[in-house]
Amino acid sequence: MSKRRMFFRMITASLLRRRSRMLIALLSIGIGATILAGLVTVYVDVPRQMAAQFRSYGANMLLVPSGSVLTQEEADDAMALIPEEERVGAAPYRYEYLNMVRRQQSFAAAGTDFDQVKRTSPYFKVNGRYPESPREVLVGKGVADTVGARLNGVMELTWFPPSTQEEDQGDADFDIRPGMTLAGHAQGYGSREGFNDNPVYVTFTVGGDGTIASISVDTSSETAGVGTRCSEEAFTDLFIGKKPKDLVLGRDVDAVSGATVTSAAVVQAIADARPVTDESAALVPRTINYAVVGILETGGEEEGYIYMSLDDMGVITGTSDQLDLVELSVSATQDSLERYAEEITASGHATARLVKRVTKSETAVLGKLQALVFLVTIVVLVLTMVSVSTTMMAVVTERRREIGLRKALGAPDSAIRGEFLGEGLFLGALGGLLGAVLGFVFAQVVSVNVFGSDIRFNFWLLPITVLVSMAVAALSCLMPVRRAVAIDPALVLKGE
Amino acid sequence: MSLLDIRNVSKIYGELKALDNVSIRVDQGEWVAIMGPSGSGKSTMMNIIGCMDKPTKGQVFLDGIDIAKESSRRLTDIRRDKIGLIFQQFHMVNYLTAVENVMVSQYYHSMPDEAEALEALERVGVRERARHLPSQLSGGEQQRVCVARALINHPELILADEPTGNLDETNENIVLDLFRQLHREGTTLIVVTHDPEVAEAAQRTIVLEHGRLVREVVNEHFVE
Ligand SMILES: Nc1ncnc2c1ncn2[C@@H]1O[C@H](COP(=O)(O)OP(=O)(O)O)[C@@H](O)[C@H]1O
Ligand SMILES: [Mg+2]
Repeated sequence: MSKRRMFFRMITASLLRRRSRMLIALLSIGIGATILAGLVTVYVDVPRQMAAQFRSYGANMLLVPSGSVLTQEEADDAMALIPEEERVGAAPYRYEYLNMVRRQQSFAAAGTDFDQVKRTSPYFKVNGRYPESPREVLVGKGVADTVGARLNGVMELTWFPPSTQEEDQGDADFDIRPGMTLAGHAQGYGSREGFNDNPVYVTFTVGGDGTIASISVDTSSETAGVGTRCSEEAFTDLFIGKKPKDLVLGRDVDAVSGATVTSAAVVQAIADARPVTDESAALVPRTINYAVVGILETGGEEEGYIYMSLDDMGVITGTSDQLDLVELSVSATQDSLERYAEEITASGHATARLVKRVTKSETAVLGKLQALVFLVTIVVLVLTMVSVSTTMMAVVTERRREIGLRKALGAPDSAIRGEFLGEGLFLGALGGLLGAVLGFVFAQVVSVNVFGSDIRFNFWLLPITVLVSMAVAALSCLMPVRRAVAIDPALVLKGE
Repeated sequence: MSLLDIRNVSKIYGELKALDNVSIRVDQGEWVAIMGPSGSGKSTMMNIIGCMDKPTKGQVFLDGIDIAKESSRRLTDIRRDKIGLIFQQFHMVNYLTAVENVMVSQYYHSMPDEAEALEALERVGVRERARHLPSQLSGGEQQRVCVARALINHPELILADEPTGNLDETNENIVLDLFRQLHREGTTLIVVTHDPEVAEAAQRTIVLEHGRLVREVVNEHFVE
């Protein structure tokens, strides 16, 4: 038998037949190696994953109109310049002001595609859920707090046509023909107060005899309980059967008592009414009740918005296919992103801008995370070393006689050193192996629970963990080994 | 020339003279017993001869080399090459089997050779216990393994410090028979003992008291 084989036979015998003590040493190395391998995996893998997530989730490019509006088609054409597999999400936004008439307040509202929002803004925290059906809204927390909106409550929103449309109410040269629908508006009391600049709206149809056949009046901007009575049938029915031209208040119809200004506005609106074409249909105010299905918390300006689907936005405004912004998240390098942005802007479909914020915060977060993991790793290594060293010290004390005997049998110091280091290295290798496997499991658990992502097994981590464990074990053995070598056989073997 | 020539050796611990100006010569192939009451310096003497300790004063020539002057590293080499040790407490590596314990001695000396180690166990009569751990062996069996371990490298000198102190009569006789065999083969033996019977088995008995050599008796009944 060679000396080497005897060496290993002695070491394995020592480890296997003196199980309890060695198990403690093995355990401390194993646990150390587990945490080490786990942390290193987290250290290496999670930044990779987070970088991928940051890149793929947060929006890193914005498309804004080159001209006044961006149509869906233009947006699609612009996005076609980015390879499909790199496009992770594209959330379109259309912003309009919607009003809560009773509160005399208006709010910014956004029409969007919620499936895409989930991808471009994964940090959105929705209390409740995202809208799925028509007439459902997601209300920013800021808005909800201001108006006291509650989850699962109802929110009445009114869209008023922009008052700049006033100037082009259409061609004044037309004949009133049966079957025609006409619409007009005029300043009432509410608009005089300065609220919203919103006039009284009137829509009516012309019957076969050229008189008004049906009429609806929108007085939502008027004083509640006073001017608003002008939209009640008691008043509007007075116009049925009357010729729309040259109506005079007080002669043809009586004003609602106490609401003369509003009544006059109704008559004026009828006088100014123009035939309703498809285009001008949009210019009628609409009030719709929405179900509040979610409250949005972001900690940012998004909390000041009311979100609904693009379709709902189209319904309430009467117009569709206008986008103000598309938030894109593209999984590509910074260089590629810059190139795409240039190409899109050059194409004229839209203007592309890059969002820098995400990349910066990503680096900051990762830096901090890595520093933390690094510190913990050092602490774990030191603790492992202390623990292994203590155990080995106990082992040496326990084996004083044996060491003395070996020396008496002619073992030189180098052999004693070699045997203890050998045992330490063996324990280190075994513990490292154990740790590499358990560490991966540990890292996987951490990754799934904390970061919500699977981890990739790095094969080179196995030899590295084993080597580091062996080095730590060897270092831990230095003191115990020195003690072992110093043992005097004569004293130990004294015949007590 | 004597194998061992101890000249005016003293070992002093503070005030205490564990050995006080002792001179002993042991010839090659001789079998010497050392007797004396407890604390008389027998073990101290054995440790010095066994190259595990150095005298405070005096010279110790082993094979012509003054081991009192050698470095501890050289002493380890000399011990390994020339001396076989047997202790009262046996002292085996408790996690190694009987045969492995014998092989440890081979391992430090030259090359481990399991067959040879088994042969040595055969010789001391514990061949069938070769695969047992020390805890599974009786005291007599353990001491016989230790004798096998001491003789495995064919040392010139075997030092046994109260080898039968922990043995019953039967095992004592077995060990003594082994010593007789070794003696016949020409091995020099120095055996420390309390037991007159064990001392009488030797050719010569040296008696120590308070670290001093007080008497030397030649055993007339010695049978070759
Ligand atoms: N390392 C030591 N330090 C101090 N005194 C010692 C030491 N070794 C032995 N002695 C003392 O030397 C004397 C001789 O001891 P020892 O040789 O062991 O006696 P024996 O083996 O004859 O019983 C004893 O009094 C003992 O206490
Ligand atoms: Mg003694």
